[in-house]
Amino acid sequence: MEYTKPLPRINSDNREFWEGCRNHELRFQKCASCGHIRFPASYVCPKCLRKDFQWIVSAGIGKVYTYAVYHVAYHQGFLEDLPYVVAVVELQEGPRLLTNIVGCPPEEVSCEMPVTVVWKDATPDISLPMFRPL
Amino acid sequence: MLDAGLCRYVLISYGHNALSSDSLFTMLMDFAGDDAVFGHFGATGGYALAARRAMHEFNTGPQTWKHIAVAQRAWANLNPQAVMYDKPMSFDDYLSSKYVVEPLRLPDNCLVNDGGRAVIVATLERARDLKHRPAVILGLGQHNPSVQVTQSGILTGSTGARKACETALSIAGITRDDIDACQIYDCFTYTVELTLQDYGFFEPGEGESWFSGGTTGPGGRMPVNTSGGQLSEAYYMGLTPLSEAAMQIMGRCGDRQLGPATQTKEPNIILVSDNGGILQTHSCCILGRI
Repeated sequence: MEYTKPLPRINSDNREFWEGCRNHELRFQKCASCGHIRFPASYVCPKCLRKDFQWIVSAGIGKVYTYAVYHVAYHQGFLEDLPYVVAVVELQEGPRLLTNIVGCPPEEVSCEMPVTVVWKDATPDISLPMFRPL
Repeated sequence: MLDAGLCRYVLISYGHNALSSDSLFTMLMDFAGDDAVFGHFGATGGYALAARRAMHEFNTGPQTWKHIAVAQRAWANLNPQAVMYDKPMSFDDYLSSKYVVEPLRLPDNCLVNDGGRAVIVATLERARDLKHRPAVILGLGQHNPSVQVTQSGILTGSTGARKACETALSIAGITRDDIDACQIYDCFTYTVELTLQDYGFFEPGEGESWFSGGTTGPGGRMPVNTSGGQLSEAYYMGLTPLSEAAMQIMGRCGDRQLGPATQTKEPNIILVSDNGGILQTHSCCILGRI
């Protein structure tokens, strides 16, 4: 079935992240200078402004920092999902990312709830990191 | 520019056919970027994330926000130009309205409307000769932490509001106790709560008791958004609060005029706020009578 939702726009900054996702890996930049692990991908470290970094693979475990339950579909592709949960998940390694909470009713989601990554294979090239209760 | 003599008058204007065109929707969809991949769009979603985190950290939620929405609607019911002029709203109406992006309900959201608003700034010397009493800029402050919503540590305060307000009060040479009314940028009810909290009117979690009993409505001890604001009058970005503050100080507000007509304090000093992004930028302006 055709995938009807928006897909990420791949560019030179985020290509490594989305290629990691295709392999079901959450990859983040770790500053070689101060050790800060950052997201979204960026040319310099937002903490110390140095350029050198290495890619690390996250364990994919974190907690819900905050969330919102959509009762309106602003895009037709999400109509069937209503109500659905958009959340900011804070990973153990530090970065926060915008994602969806799946595998549990919206009313059971809470801030600080432990979650783990699950993969939604949207297309052969794009897999989306989503999270379910741990 | 005015003081330097580079110009005599400055026009600050805003106009938008936001309701009858798709331009606002298109703009907000463009803002979403790759957040759209996860179904995250527009401003309501971002503020819902902030409001939900606030509900986790301190006592707030619909029982606080209903006071803000209902008080502003009562002001709009005194303003024939307000979109919601002839639509009263009770606490029950608020609490039974549908969610848009939970925890935000429809009346937690600002309006989408066509229209425009304009303000003219001139020197005080020139303004003294005009028909209406001038609304004088006593202080200005701005602070822009500008952090995107997922990376932000300030969704629950303190936002840029605190420093912006401190600067504006300092320039004006007054304290918070001197303020007679507020016109707060109210894209959402939660923005009003958080702005007033960051301004120091109450401590985190005390909003519900501070707002209850009609504090900010007609007859209240601290009137807020006396035109109905963006929630109930009309959305003209920062010009909704700014123009209302100027009009109140000039005494041009008819049935909603602060002072004896609405059993409120005379509006000698009004605090005005503006806010951008998802709590990313903030400016504060103090207008007064002289």
